[in-house]
Amino acid sequence: MKLLKNIAMLCVIAFINQGCGSDFLDLEPISSSTTGNSYKTEDDIEAALVAVYNSLHNEFYTWDNVLMGDVRSDNCYAGPPDDVDIWAYDQLTIASNNSRIFNNWRDFYRGISRANVVLDKIEGIEELSNTRKHQIIGEARFLRAFYYFDLVKQYGGVPIVEQTGTADPDKTQIPRNTIEEVYAFITADLEFASANLPDSYGLGMDVDKGRATKGASNALLAKVWAQHPLHDYAKVIQYADAVINSAAGYALLGDYPTLFNGNNYNNSESIFEAQYIGGTPQGNWGPQLFLPPSISGDGWRKYATPSKNLINAYTSELDVVRVNTNIITERVPWVDEYYNADLPFTPVPFAYKQKNADGWNSGDQVYLLRLADILLLKAEAMAYLNEGDFGRSLVDQIRNRAGLANTAATNGEMLDAILLERRLELALENHRWDDLVRNDKIIETMNNLQELNLITDEFVDYDMNENKILLPIPLNEIDRNPALEQNPGY
Amino acid sequence: MKNLTRNSRWLVCDFKFSLKMKITTLLLFVALFNLQATNYAQNTEISIELEEVAVIEVLNEIESLTEYKFLFNRNDVDVERIVSVKVEKEGVKDVLNHVFSDSDVTFEVLNKQIILTTAKKEASIKIEDAQQNTISGTVLDEEGMPIPGVSVLIKGKYIGTETDFDGNFSLAVQEGDVLIFSYLGYKTQEIAYANQKSLSIALLTDVTSLDNVVVVGYGTQKVKDVTGSLSQISGAEIEDRPILQVTDALAGKAAGVTVVSPSGKPQAGGFIRIRGTTSIDASSEPLYVIDGIPVQTIFDLNPNDIESISVLKDASSAAIFGASGANGVVIINTKRGHSKEGVISFDSYVGVSEVTKTLNTLNSNEYIDLMDELGLSADWSQYMEETDWQDQIYRTALRQNYQVSVSGQDEGTNYYISGNYQDTEGVIRSNEAQRVSGKVNFSKQVRDWFKIGTNISYAQWRDVDVTDNAGAGNGGVVLGALVTPSVIGIYNEEGTFTGNPLQPSWENPVAGTDAPEKEYKSSRFLGTVYAEIDLSETIQYKSRFSVDESNGRFQYFLDPFSTDWGRVNEGIASESSNKNFYWITENMLSYKKTVNKHSVDVLGGYIVSKRTASSFSAEAINFANESVKTIAGGSVVNYATSSETERANQSVIARLNYAYDDKYLATVNFRADGSSVFGPNNQWGTFPSLSLGWRLTQEDFMNDDGFFDDIKFRFGWGEVGNDRIRPYAWYGTVAHGYNYVVDGAIVPGIAPETLENKDLKWETTTQTDIGLDLTFLENKLNVILDYYIKNTDDLLLSMPIPTSTGFTSSIQNVGEIQNKGFEFSIIGKAIETEDFSWDTNFNMSFNNNEVINLKDQVIMTGSIFQRGNVVRTEEGQPMGNFWGFIAEGVDPDTGDMIYKDLDGDGVINADGDKTVIGNANPDFTFGFTNSLRYKGFGLNIFLQGVSGNDVFNATKIETEAMTDFKSQTSDVLNRWQQPGGITDMPRAVLGDKTNSDLSTRFIEDGSYIRLKTVSLSYDFSGKFIENSFLSKLRLYVTAENLATFTNYTGYDPEVNAFGSSNLVQGVDYGTYPQTRNIIMGVNVSF
Repeated sequence: MKLLKNIAMLCVIAFINQGCGSDFLDLEPISSSTTGNSYKTEDDIEAALVAVYNSLHNEFYTWDNVLMGDVRSDNCYAGPPDDVDIWAYDQLTIASNNSRIFNNWRDFYRGISRANVVLDKIEGIEELSNTRKHQIIGEARFLRAFYYFDLVKQYGGVPIVEQTGTADPDKTQIPRNTIEEVYAFITADLEFASANLPDSYGLGMDVDKGRATKGASNALLAKVWAQHPLHDYAKVIQYADAVINSAAGYALLGDYPTLFNGNNYNNSESIFEAQYIGGTPQGNWGPQLFLPPSISGDGWRKYATPSKNLINAYTSELDVVRVNTNIITERVPWVDEYYNADLPFTPVPFAYKQKNADGWNSGDQVYLLRLADILLLKAEAMAYLNEGDFGRSLVDQIRNRAGLANTAATNGEMLDAILLERRLELALENHRWDDLVRNDKIIETMNNLQELNLITDEFVDYDMNENKILLPIPLNEIDRNPALEQNPGY
Repeated sequence: MKNLTRNSRWLVCDFKFSLKMKITTLLLFVALFNLQATNYAQNTEISIELEEVAVIEVLNEIESLTEYKFLFNRNDVDVERIVSVKVEKEGVKDVLNHVFSDSDVTFEVLNKQIILTTAKKEASIKIEDAQQNTISGTVLDEEGMPIPGVSVLIKGKYIGTETDFDGNFSLAVQEGDVLIFSYLGYKTQEIAYANQKSLSIALLTDVTSLDNVVVVGYGTQKVKDVTGSLSQISGAEIEDRPILQVTDALAGKAAGVTVVSPSGKPQAGGFIRIRGTTSIDASSEPLYVIDGIPVQTIFDLNPNDIESISVLKDASSAAIFGASGANGVVIINTKRGHSKEGVISFDSYVGVSEVTKTLNTLNSNEYIDLMDELGLSADWSQYMEETDWQDQIYRTALRQNYQVSVSGQDEGTNYYISGNYQDTEGVIRSNEAQRVSGKVNFSKQVRDWFKIGTNISYAQWRDVDVTDNAGAGNGGVVLGALVTPSVIGIYNEEGTFTGNPLQPSWENPVAGTDAPEKEYKSSRFLGTVYAEIDLSETIQYKSRFSVDESNGRFQYFLDPFSTDWGRVNEGIASESSNKNFYWITENMLSYKKTVNKHSVDVLGGYIVSKRTASSFSAEAINFANESVKTIAGGSVVNYATSSETERANQSVIARLNYAYDDKYLATVNFRADGSSVFGPNNQWGTFPSLSLGWRLTQEDFMNDDGFFDDIKFRFGWGEVGNDRIRPYAWYGTVAHGYNYVVDGAIVPGIAPETLENKDLKWETTTQTDIGLDLTFLENKLNVILDYYIKNTDDLLLSMPIPTSTGFTSSIQNVGEIQNKGFEFSIIGKAIETEDFSWDTNFNMSFNNNEVINLKDQVIMTGSIFQRGNVVRTEEGQPMGNFWGFIAEGVDPDTGDMIYKDLDGDGVINADGDKTVIGNANPDFTFGFTNSLRYKGFGLNIFLQGVSGNDVFNATKIETEAMTDFKSQTSDVLNRWQQPGGITDMPRAVLGDKTNSDLSTRFIEDGSYIRLKTVSLSYDFSGKFIENSFLSKLRLYVTAENLATFTNYTGYDPEVNAFGSSNLVQGVDYGTYPQTRNIIMGVNVSF
């Protein structure tokens, strides 16, 4: 049969080639290009690099980061109870089939894959200057490290993927690397980036804050070494200093509210910032999900309701400037489990770090790395190492800017003071969970939380334990890659 | 005529009859009037040696040795007389002289038939000779073409002739004679001689005979010659039914053909599955061929124009369609002219539709009680309305249809011209669909050897959709009507739509139907021209060029005031359009020849086609006011995108039909298909098939006393392909639009979107079919049985791959699915008299589906809002499995659902405690049609049903979960409220989905028997018609879905929220219900 078929086939092809142009069936895509013809010129590789940055517009950096860092911790409640996946973030009942964790996992790896495409294809581009070539590689490796850092913080050891363009199960169904291996991969990428990226592209802050720079890479290295299971605080100080003393001239803004009023993005305090243009397809739809009806213009219940615990933290420090910058309160017609179970139109707080919704199309940007974070991180490192003033002056710098007096903490209390200061300064910017984990405070903090659900009239039992520090590996990904081992407890 | 057949004795005397004899009779006719058999050698020499046998056996022997057939009347000719014959190489005449030497039987040889008569009868004929006149005339077919070789006989006598090449005859007759015109495949007609000098008659195709012609791929075949498995549905079976889309007409009409009608929305149409679902990611829809043009969609085809539908079910009949035939083929031919005078017809119906039931929902007090229990409160004193939302949403909808057609045929010209307007409102507010269409079919036999023709249709379609299959929070209107609290009223004081007090953006369902202005409009031109040239008596060349061009446009506008979503966006307008252009040329050579008992029919052809598709879509928001409702009025463009694709195909086809003595039949198909969508390593595929038929009743060993008129065994094997995937599928495509912002400006970004696969090829379905066709009770009963095994491998699977690759899936040829099943049809004419007739048609299909191989992959699909995927596809299991927990009732102590702890680990979790909880595939489906006619009255009753399938009623997750501010159905009044409460409805608990997780709680039996169609008609006849200018006047009343017998508790068990999905069937999630339709219609002809 096979032979017959082949003979018939030959006859047919011979016949067709007589009858019709032999290229009749060879059609190339018209409105998309192909992997074969897309990466030839400098413009092509620049466009490929842009796509790696485009991953900063994915759902995680648009709003899931607030769910991950603030809703999951003691900073916020979830919001509408009908969104059960987000409710689970708040209640610490995240299961492996939670759709959000799968989507985030997928999106991080999409960014990593795009970086790998740049690194793979750049070798074939001939017209590129050597300087730009190394910059491009540096930018791609910085972004790859940036995405891996979020992966390793959330899921622990994840598979390190460097190749692109294959679906071969032998190459794609690979097991997890260890946490240490992932961190080593990240630091290698960042060390290359720090060595090859410029302090400034010389085109103004709107470029320098949006693109990977030496400063951004060093700042990330500081964060990476702090979060690393080994907590290498010397390296934290080393890289924090590299940022603080950078030729890029990073400096705190004089006034905390200015950072977030929507008119001063890409400022001197910003180190790396997700760039948006409102009213275009490159607008930011995230703020619509948080802002109250009076600003967002729609009437549904919003996400990431700031917790009583957070508001108390501000109140007890008499931190008026930052609470008013970060939180807005409004009377709403719906009930809220923690604020108004019985009476509608009692005030409910809203996340207010970004202030413009503009019908799902805001121009508000997102600080991914900013100097205040690095200063406090350095203070933390100093306090751990019992070095100098235990970071006191750095903390005071931040407090004074917010209109608060110097800290009254003793040296022995400095670590707690820094953790609190980070909470007040960096609330709703996806730091709280990582801070608590890094300082080994996450379990006690969550289990000590007294959050009264006014409807059930019961305190929420967060039942925090060691296993819940990491998220489960998404079940959907395990289905695709049986070589993945689930985290303990899931 | 029957008096002349040699089996008449059986009919008259002992009422036993044999199929073989009947077939022989037909063959006698063939032989007698066969045009080609003009000069059968009179000197054929035979050798026979038979001792003491009946005369009949000698005749049989002669028939088997020669092409001679005998024609005689058993009442006159004694064929049981015992004779002995021993001849060697003698002429037939000599043999017969010997056989009949001692009797009064004489014989006459006419071409290849031999008429036996007795001297006595001949004498009487001779006496009558004296008073003879002569009549001459012409016999034509339905298209006005002359039929040569028609038998013209005088009833009760033995005088006859046949028509010549031009269909003319001339015969000596006397007054009072009745002329009988008969020809194989046509209805026999009798005409009384009343001194006409000449007459012209048209013979109608005989639709009941085995010689009825059925449409097969690239040609036609006689039923008796068919070796594949196919079903035919005539246009008449669709008549009288309020059908907007052709697919709606096929449910229950043919064995092995299931139609999934996913909703009652007029624009939804049905999805056809022939012998099960064969694919996972490629389409499982059959290929549609309208008047020879392969098309992708048929939603805009006017059902009133259909003459016949052929469904090719097995691989051997579909193999001629190669890489597009794997899902079976539905060949639709449109109407032609039938009468020489021409017919002007007007057909119309007007009617109404309504939902068959509504569900009980909570009233205001019950709702507020539930909210209290959940701890949710509002200032209820502001909300004092009591609105029945189902009452607001559902309406009595109108439907109307008007069709005018003119058709006829004359002297080689055949024409059919029609115009149609059909307007169907949906039962949900604002939902409607309209079609205006026109059709011209024309053909002309220009010369004896040259025929040219065209089929052209043009249709305009318009519809307004409503959102179903969506939760109330996402604008789903059906669920909106069930879960919107009754207390809020429709409008706020300022004219905006009300929303749930506890979640104001959840507006009432009227906002969903009334606020958006939307419309889909399309137009389509479908045309073909063809020529047929007879190069010789045996060789024919056919050439055809066809075009299918369509344009569609969807427009949407949501004003900036009346809804929450509109206000947030300050108005939204979107628009999308698509253009499709397809051309195909087919060039075919065919050769037909019969030599002795061998008949051969060969077809070869070359086909080229190309499809171009382009689309555009854009959305703008931020409108200053409502004065401009298009994108131009918005100040912010959210997106604007376009795409353009091409795909090309080239094919070579070949077919050989061979028959030996009408007894052994064989068909061999071969098709080679080249397609641009497949990888360079596999661009060409070959598709062979073979089918065999054996007509047992033609065998000598089948004795004359057989019960059967015809028995045919069929065997078919073949490979067919499925190439229904997107263009450029094998390429690794790189998409543009992954942009970013640098320095306050948008810069372009590109990123790979799909993975390259150079080996990509069609999926292959290999099907083996064994069939048996039985005809008995004097052709009054037909039974068709088929068993098939169908394996589809190299599935075009969008294989989920680890997302750590940066991709979510890759199209690969992996996996295998098997469908095997049994189906049968019984077609009977229970009663057929002049005044009364009863036709019945019963068909039943059993199909078993199994995923044989999926490379260990488990595919979870069928995402239910916030509950995960409910359908699991895995190896060793059928497709359509529902996956979830086993619910074991409500715990009286806690009010929570108890789920079975399958893995016994003491914890209920998705990883270990979910299992198969149901399956959407029916055990069997059936259709049962009864047509009764008494004088002018007609009654048509059509029952249709499925059995053994499960429905996952996800609507109940929305209406019974009691987890938030939604209103619910009245079933929740039984909810658990205090410890010790015994109920099957768990407690209300805010924000906790556990009790309403995917489980057997929502599995229901979806079996149903439906009184699909009941139609009563009256055909005016007699004086009333004769005295008017009308030639036909007919009135009818039809009810569709009059009654449905089912245990299903939702709106209707014929449902699928996932439309045409291969994997997800039988999920009800706020799905637009099926409707009951009642119409009154009229057919008038002039």
